[in-house]
Amino acid sequence: MLRFLLRTIGTLFILFLLLQFVRLPLPNPPVTADLQAPAEVKQILKKSCYGCHSNETKLVWFDYPVPAYWIVRDHVLEARQHINFSEIGKLPAAQQKAALYEGLFQISRGTMPIPAYVAFHPDARISEQDVTVLRNYLLSISPAHPAATDDAGAAQYEKWIVNGNATSSPTPAPNGIRFPSDYKNWRPISSTERFDNNSIRQILGNDIAIKAIAENQIDPWPDGATFAKIAWFEQTGADGIIRPGEFFQVEFMIRDKNKYANTLGWGWARWRGAELKPYGKDANFVDECVGCHRPLEDTNYVFTEPIRGQQ
Amino acid sequence: MKGSSKKRTATRRRAVRRTAVHCAEKTRSPLVSILFAFALVASAAFSGCPSDNRVAPLVATVNENASLSPAAVSALPANPLKWRVITSSIDPQSSTMSTLYGNDTAVRYARSNAKHDYPPGSQIALVTWTRRDDPRYFGAKVPDHLKSIEFVSVTELPGETNITYQKFEGSPLAQTRSDESPNPSPPALALLQLRAAVLP
Repeated sequence: MLRFLLRTIGTLFILFLLLQFVRLPLPNPPVTADLQAPAEVKQILKKSCYGCHSNETKLVWFDYPVPAYWIVRDHVLEARQHINFSEIGKLPAAQQKAALYEGLFQISRGTMPIPAYVAFHPDARISEQDVTVLRNYLLSISPAHPAATDDAGAAQYEKWIVNGNATSSPTPAPNGIRFPSDYKNWRPISSTERFDNNSIRQILGNDIAIKAIAENQIDPWPDGATFAKIAWFEQTGADGIIRPGEFFQVEFMIRDKNKYANTLGWGWARWRGAELKPYGKDANFVDECVGCHRPLEDTNYVFTEPIRGQQ
Repeated sequence: MKGSSKKRTATRRRAVRRTAVHCAEKTRSPLVSILFAFALVASAAFSGCPSDNRVAPLVATVNENASLSPAAVSALPANPLKWRVITSSIDPQSSTMSTLYGNDTAVRYARSNAKHDYPPGSQIALVTWTRRDDPRYFGAKVPDHLKSIEFVSVTELPGETNITYQKFEGSPLAQTRSDESPNPSPPALALLQLRAAVLP
């Protein structure tokens, strides 16, 4: 028995040593367009996010042995692909801001930095104080309602109002989901004012969703429940009131816990612009949807807190 | 679901520990017990057990303050939440957000006519809420308390159309204003003239 154990351990140890040579490189590419932000903000991001989300990855000794190295390398490459603070300056300003807001959302839900990463890198922990600094910074770069002319919105309206009730049949989303063209006849379940990107939104629910709200069966939502979230760019009138200007996009969440088991039990799709161009270059676009909704496990991955009374 | 899976993991961990102790006693080999101890420490480390996740849990609830109860509806000429959306607005000055609803006749008209002469049978309603920060997303504001509902109805009288304006406010909602005339009053006109939001 003892001899068998020793032999097994010996074999495993040799295998462990051999595996150390199986390693792909994890280079730090040059920092080409580093995030521009105040020092106190940068300092928080550097200590908590730059370890993976930048070209300044510094591995510590326990990251080097295989298999830890394989896991760390995978994480870093995936993280950089999602958001890379060393190259973020190349993105349009609106997209940079959206990335920071999503980052703060992930932080406030405890999904970022990844808890296992914090367990091994305690310095990366984000304090309440840090969250306040990040929030204040984001508020400072998000003017409440910047003056926006209605030229684009008015032009779009003129075109739409003549054939508004024509049935739209745009190209299906890259994951095969077809455009639910009757969505505009679903009933509103909430609305949002998004000061992070100056859009105004309506959230509509189909009949199954409305019934679920009436019966308080929303945790989880029943199969078939579908939401449409419609976003327009804000337009400020002469009276100071903000109204929907140009239509920006409509996105859908379709509940089917078995069919969409791999994507949190929901089917995801989004169409942009008045011409309803499907979003995403391939079916992997859903990773974006899932990444942002995953922290909402408590609410069945739904952001909207529905209003009741439609029945 | 989350809770039960945590419970399952804990039960499994307890079972592993019991087995470890049991085996160690049985074989009485120090090497084996050291190995098991190592395995336990390693599994604890990889399962990330020192979890001091201080994130407040969210609750999947209905936005009750913003909702319309059957009792409240009974005091109104109609239930606008049953209708469809025409457009919406935000008033930063008074910190409120509103949705303009319309019945079938009104919605069909508003989505296909650039004019604002709603046909008889049209009913529109502006529902206004106070607003608050979205508890689920920093970067958004959502409806809070229901503040008021304004109705405009277009009816046909022999020889002319009649436009009724009614405003309900407070909690519970009570009528605070009402007028009726062949020509819309200023508050009625303000609602009738709103452009439908583009819905392709």
